[in-house]
Amino acid sequence: MNPLLSVRNLTKSFAAAQGPLGGKEQRFRAVDNISFDLAPGETLGLVGESGCGKSTTGRLILRLLEADSGAVFFHGEDLVPMGQKELRPRRRQMQMIFQDPFSSLNPRCKIGDIVAEPLLIHGLATSATVKNLVIELLATVGLGSDILDRYPHEFSGGQRQRIGIARALAVKPELIIADEPVSALDLSIQAQVINLLDDIQQQFGLTYLFISHDLSVVEHLCKRVAVMYLGRIIEIAPAIELYRAPFHPYTEALLQAVPRPIPGRQHKRILLQGEIPSPLFPPAGCHFHPRCIYARPVCRELSPVLVEHAPTRFAACHFAGEFSRNLS
Amino acid sequence: MTSPLLDVCSLKTYFFTPRGLIKAIGGIDFSIGLGRTLALVGESGCGKSMTALSILRLVPEPGKIVEGTISFAGEDLLRLPPTEMRRIRGNQIAMIFQEPMTSLNPVFTVKRQIGEVLELHRGLHGQEQEEEAAALLQQVGIPDARKRLASYPHQLSGGMRQRVVIAMALAGHPQLLIADEPTTALDVTIQAQILELLGELRRSRGMSMLLISHDLGVVAETADRVAIMYAGLIMEAADVAPLFNQPLHPYTRGLLACIPRLGEERQRLVPIPDQVTNAMQYSDGCPFAPRCHEVMHQCREYLPPLQEVAPNHQVRCWKAL
Repeated sequence: MNPLLSVRNLTKSFAAAQGPLGGKEQRFRAVDNISFDLAPGETLGLVGESGCGKSTTGRLILRLLEADSGAVFFHGEDLVPMGQKELRPRRRQMQMIFQDPFSSLNPRCKIGDIVAEPLLIHGLATSATVKNLVIELLATVGLGSDILDRYPHEFSGGQRQRIGIARALAVKPELIIADEPVSALDLSIQAQVINLLDDIQQQFGLTYLFISHDLSVVEHLCKRVAVMYLGRIIEIAPAIELYRAPFHPYTEALLQAVPRPIPGRQHKRILLQGEIPSPLFPPAGCHFHPRCIYARPVCRELSPVLVEHAPTRFAACHFAGEFSRNLS
Repeated sequence: MTSPLLDVCSLKTYFFTPRGLIKAIGGIDFSIGLGRTLALVGESGCGKSMTALSILRLVPEPGKIVEGTISFAGEDLLRLPPTEMRRIRGNQIAMIFQEPMTSLNPVFTVKRQIGEVLELHRGLHGQEQEEEAAALLQQVGIPDARKRLASYPHQLSGGMRQRVVIAMALAGHPQLLIADEPTTALDVTIQAQILELLGELRRSRGMSMLLISHDLGVVAETADRVAIMYAGLIMEAADVAPLFNQPLHPYTRGLLACIPRLGEERQRLVPIPDQVTNAMQYSDGCPFAPRCHEVMHQCREYLPPLQEVAPNHQVRCWKAL
């Protein structure tokens, strides 16, 4: 099957804030030459710690940010060189759900208008038909028609996230990029929204790129998972296998760091030493080597490339095959 | 059995807002023994942070502690004059917050901020003060401690800042550390480091801890005892193992059922329906009744008492009695 989305060698660098005296501009690579495919109907999780470049990747795909180089093929067409006019109909097929339901809804707009706006902009409804469509969309996400004339501040975080999802669904997208969609929600509400994302995927055949730092939520929702570290994808594999036996030492450390709700559990935990290095001065060779307990001399010199070590299992580690890490 | 270090009795903290009365804490009881860790667990607005602020007598306006006693090492904190209370705050009871920048002053160096605590609470000056500050930074695992004393908060990463805040909290040799979501703003690998550090410090100093968290994983790995709060009331309290293994309150069971668990077979999550009722709309019954799938007629009419149903296991539910 042809992939719905193919990202190839995508790279984006930003200028770091300069001091008051200026000086030479320093740039760092937020996203460093990443490639992956997303099949129709699939859910790919993009995980990593803050500053690893996962949100930037989502924004580059939607061209909310412009890439320095690389390609983003959607239905086989490269979006990166397209002009705004060409882009607009494709934008309709790709929607985003944001983390903070408090800042992604215009506080001065009524709920009915917020959900109606994309329908009218993309010519999917007329002013006569729009109201019924909006009511239908709100029903899909579990909200009643009585909220049409109310404002965002009248709703809780979970309800606002539902409204954001209804707005994203309005234009019948094929691909949804969800950037930490449940991280700001309380536990009991988080479960409601996770189930809703599951339901609408089945109902509309959606494809998800699910960006999150929460490894438990990603395991629950995603078929495949890509792990990022300092702008690079260091491992990408089917979720079940990646969680059971990761190939990359960083994936292993991340999984072991997650506290489990099982009291008294004696876990083997390798505590990762040190912190994520500054992206301005990433370590030479493998970016992870200063924190890696398996590091050898070659790791300091040669940057490992992402290669397939077993069918469908890619990892960027010189010794990925050697250390078979079984966490179960 | 010795008496507990902290004993909170029928504490009520209300907010008198222009729009009406909000019972942020509606009468709670708990105690923490020497060297023990109690976790207060609940969702936003359940009153867990307000409980911590009540213990320190730092409830913001228009809030007021209207009833109850908070006895700490035998003294009722609510009866102490303000000067005495200041002596206890930061000295015998210290607090760390979720976002370390809220407790650090951006324009002062680390040395000056830790130094201030050492001067106020331990009367240390000059060389002695600097030595002690460096020793504290070393204890919380900051490499190059002496160099780091000259740093400003913005020069440190989130994890390092939280370590500095912990060092400041330890400066007065507290017997009780209140930690309000201490790792929520941190990345998971850094969270693991900070939890490890807090565990070590508690063991080596015999310090008690009140941990406030919404993360059931963090709670299971850190606490000895857990109290589940909902709408300003404790719904269930038990030692950590029975609470996670035999939860009795429908809300506790709901919370445990609605989290995805690492490494377990993928099943549809069972969420708790609806959302927390507006704090001003509580009726006389159980506040969880509108969301409870085991609700009975009397739940809507009468608030169940928190009752001991097994040794050291208390539940506020008509079903469990």
